[in-house]
Amino acid sequence: MSPFGTSLRTEVGGVDLDTPVIVASGVWPMDPALWPEGSLDGVGAVCSKGLTLKPRDGNPGCRIVETYSGVLNSIGLQNSGVDHFVAQELPALSFAGRPIIVNIAFETLDDLVEAVEVLKGSALKISALELNVSCPNVSRGGMTWGIHPDSLESAVTAARRAWDGILWVKLSPQAPSVGEFAELSQGCGAEAVVVGNTWLGTAIDNERERPFFENVFAGLSGPAVFPLALRAVWEAAGAVEIPVIGCGGISRPQDALSMILAGASAVEVGTALFVDSRLPASTCRELERHLRKKGLSSVGDLVGRARR
Amino acid sequence: MMDSGMGKPGSPADRKGSLVFSRKVGENCRHIAVELSEATAPSAPGQFFLVREWGVFDPLLGRPLASTASGDRRLEFLFQVTGRGTSRLASLPPGAALELRGPCGNGFPAPVGEKLLLVAGTLGIAPFLGAVSALGEKVDVTAVLGVPGRGWEPFAEWCEDKIPGIRLNSDDGSLGRRGDPVEDSLTLVGPGRELWGCGPEAMLRELGRAYEKGCEKVLVSLERRMGCGIGGCLSCSITTPSGMKRVCVDGPVFDWREVFGEPLRN
Repeated sequence: MSPFGTSLRTEVGGVDLDTPVIVASGVWPMDPALWPEGSLDGVGAVCSKGLTLKPRDGNPGCRIVETYSGVLNSIGLQNSGVDHFVAQELPALSFAGRPIIVNIAFETLDDLVEAVEVLKGSALKISALELNVSCPNVSRGGMTWGIHPDSLESAVTAARRAWDGILWVKLSPQAPSVGEFAELSQGCGAEAVVVGNTWLGTAIDNERERPFFENVFAGLSGPAVFPLALRAVWEAAGAVEIPVIGCGGISRPQDALSMILAGASAVEVGTALFVDSRLPASTCRELERHLRKKGLSSVGDLVGRARR
Repeated sequence: MMDSGMGKPGSPADRKGSLVFSRKVGENCRHIAVELSEATAPSAPGQFFLVREWGVFDPLLGRPLASTASGDRRLEFLFQVTGRGTSRLASLPPGAALELRGPCGNGFPAPVGEKLLLVAGTLGIAPFLGAVSALGEKVDVTAVLGVPGRGWEPFAEWCEDKIPGIRLNSDDGSLGRRGDPVEDSLTLVGPGRELWGCGPEAMLRELGRAYEKGCEKVLVSLERRMGCGIGGCLSCSITTPSGMKRVCVDGPVFDWREVFGEPLRN
């Protein structure tokens, strides 16, 4: 049972959550035995690491650089592949007793469909598939799936056909228009959009006179990107009927509340967990406090209230 | 269903702490003590904590520091000022609020035999300070330290004070023996003496030569940039002969062969 009251219960894009706070993909161990004491309190659902059909070692060289109030990362989707996930990691993750959202990345549509087939064979419940469209599309010379409408449409359509469960699309903030791409995802059958992912940036090692990262560019996250993500959530929520899940830079309980007031039905927290494993719990307390203060009974009543 | 208190006994927790003291050790190093608001799991030598100023988002990440001494609620650390995070930590006055995540990772397991050789390159001494006091009289410990030269004299003196009899080496011969700590340590190793190393990776790699001298066990503590410190973000992954390893949870202490492969033997 959640230590938090029923006022935080919500249904987001077909997934029932005890709280609207989701652990974002790629930040937390796939084995709950490694989670710090108390860090599961307030967590409504957990996203898996970005999974691919085959195992990947990820990127060589430097993978993380701290920036002003943020972090650049270039992990390169290191993961053990979907087969290993279904056999080993999903059983461990399920032990947490929270809905599991599986984040899936792919270089080709064939890979995507094949990976989905493996996930469909899982005996353990996968509450939703979160389509990661920030990975490169090999057929388009490595351009990110999520920054071209045709490319995004082909990916969401393929995932929709292959997966009969709940489908969320985690949009790329590099997309030219978050609202249009959210609408496109909705049109292709997504039950929710996650807005968004890391923002491309880079850092130069002045001593070596070289970029820190082998791939030059890396994904920026952390408090630095919060205002950008909040704007993107606002745009997306104004463009679609399906729920928007806010993700990007949430670092304090108040940030999560702002995201919800801007139109997010739930939030994902990521980088902030590097420094505050109790953020889900403190966020839930803040949401409950705000509901009481405003005389409201359910977190659903807060969604989009800043847009009135 | 698990609601809180995830993890096995001794797993890390986030704790608030208060800076008890912050002392300069030479030009660029600091020895600090922190009083925690509540007890944390006991930590073994070689385990580390992510340490940061409480409530501050810039710099954001905790710095992975090996504890040099640990009690129920008191921890001590030694670090070098190398960038924004460590200079911020070094500037804090006593009483400043800190945030700590730990104890993280696998420390050094209790030595199998009765003889132990510790080899440190400068700040690599940090985990060994806790080890020496934890092992007490039970194990015959010899410690070897390497520093660049005269500029590190206050640091070397501080280490000599903490570990009496520590063997000092300097690159230019201006302090202790001339040469690197690996060469010095190779004169001491042999069957029945375990070796632990902590310092620059090139030095740790060279420690593999101890196997040629009959040393059966070489453990090394690695250092990497880290994000979460608990095995989630994979920022600190390394490629090893047995696959990808996370320095934060699979290490930071590894068997030498796990990291560098099979040693060359004569």
